Amino acid sequence: MAYNGGPMTEAMYYVLLALMRPNHGYQLMHAITEVSNDRLKMGPGTLYGVLSRMQKDGLILLAEDDGRRKTYQITPKGEHALRIEYGRLKALIEDSSILREVDEDE
Amino acid sequence: MSKTVHKLRPSDYWRIGEHESWFAEMAAKGLHLKKMGIHFAKFDKGELKKMRYRIDVSIKKKITSEQIKMYEESGWDYVTSYQFFHVFSSPEELNAPELHTDPAEQSYTLKELDKKLASNAIIVVVAMLFIIGLQYSIWFLDGTPTLVMVGGSAIQQIILAIFLGYYAYQSLLASVSIRALRRNLIEGKPIDHYAPWKKHYRLHSTIAFLFTIVVGLSAIIPFVQLIKMETKTLPEASTDLPIVRLADVEENPAMVRAEPSYVSDNVDWGNRYSYDWSPLAPVQYVTDEQGVVPGEMWEDKSGEYTPGIRTQVYQLNIPAIADNLITDLIERYRYEDSMEDYIETEHPDLDLLIVHEKQEKKEVFAVKGKAVMYVRYYGYADINVVIENVVEKINLISE
Repeated sequence: MAYNGGPMTEAMYYVLLALMRPNHGYQLMHAITEVSNDRLKMGPGTLYGVLSRMQKDGLILLAEDDGRRKTYQITPKGEHALRIEYGRLKALIEDSSILREVDEDE
Repeated sequence: MSKTVHKLRPSDYWRIGEHESWFAEMAAKGLHLKKMGIHFAKFDKGELKKMRYRIDVSIKKKITSEQIKMYEESGWDYVTSYQFFHVFSSPEELNAPELHTDPAEQSYTLKELDKKLASNAIIVVVAMLFIIGLQYSIWFLDGTPTLVMVGGSAIQQIILAIFLGYYAYQSLLASVSIRALRRNLIEGKPIDHYAPWKKHYRLHSTIAFLFTIVVGLSAIIPFVQLIKMETKTLPEASTDLPIVRLADVEENPAMVRAEPSYVSDNVDWGNRYSYDWSPLAPVQYVTDEQGVVPGEMWEDKSGEYTPGIRTQVYQLNIPAIADNLITDLIERYRYEDSMEDYIETEHPDLDLLIVHEKQEKKEVFAVKGKAVMYVRYYGYADINVVIENVVEKINLISE
């Protein structure tokens, strides 16, 4: 499904985030674990699916293909989408201030 | 040199979880998946090993080396592919990460397949309806379905229709199942990699077994008919065939056999008997007999008196269809005559008797037990003589 600017899956978000620095398959899995502070361990199937889909949608591109390794990097379009999603997520957190107030009341 | 073992695959190809758990159970017994066919899976016999299997879906038949490499680096080895399904395995002790950690993302991998199966199902169902409609119309073309069925060819048509119907049902099921799986994934429910496969395995192998037998048997029918059917010139002397003889009806010693008008393969088709076989009517005869009385003329002086008789007789496996067969025989041979001219009469020795008389054409339709007999006679003998002969001869095959 072509990305239409709606909410991203967690997998998409973290792959884009990790690709702010160009990276290749196996390394990328570790990079995602790293940027998510060990919270997200992405399986290779999910990663491969996200990569091929986002490449098709023009959110990332193949920076280097030496035959053995394919290195991906984020495109301006991808970075734009990532920042919009970031803004959306931030708004989500800000909107959740209600929860904090409830916590403080207790 | 390792030994290979073939096994009937457990169930329909789209049941991903069931295949995964089946492969794993086989590996635990020392059978390691090598290749998948349409009906059979090929295993290499080796040591017992605890393995995990995962099936990845992609609409592309070939999987990219990049994907294989990426999976490999995480501990998953590529095993084999069938249709749109690609199998990977990993030893349990390796504790490799799951291939798919995000069901919603995995649902995207099913999207293309889902579309393809849906359009496939529609095409198959439409084609099936078309073919069954076509068969149906051929079958009922002249409004004599029982006659066509007794003739034998309809049985294969029915089996073909069942076969097509089953195929269409399978296509629909595939489409519906993949769609349901996709929905589940979107909702965050992952594939059950340990889905029990035994129930479907039993059902699947039973159906496969029955299908092989039924289709095999139906394929034999035309050969049996070919071997069994024969046509010969009818001997002039009396025979033990369950047919009405012209001499017995005419009762005229002056009558002799007419000159053969059509001879083929050494058979005088004007004076012949044909034997045929079908599952519903294992004994069938059609006979023709033509005579001539030298010196005697038809009443309208159109020529020499040449009486003729035809007998069609069936011994049925299912006597219940006898009445329908009679109706069809009348329908088949009445031409422009009205159905009302065929008169049902009582006879103590017959289950059913219908007669039709129109000048020198006399027709008798009779049922007794398993036997159905149709006699068409052209000549001046009384119809009651024909009926007497029918009553006598039908006894030969009524039980």
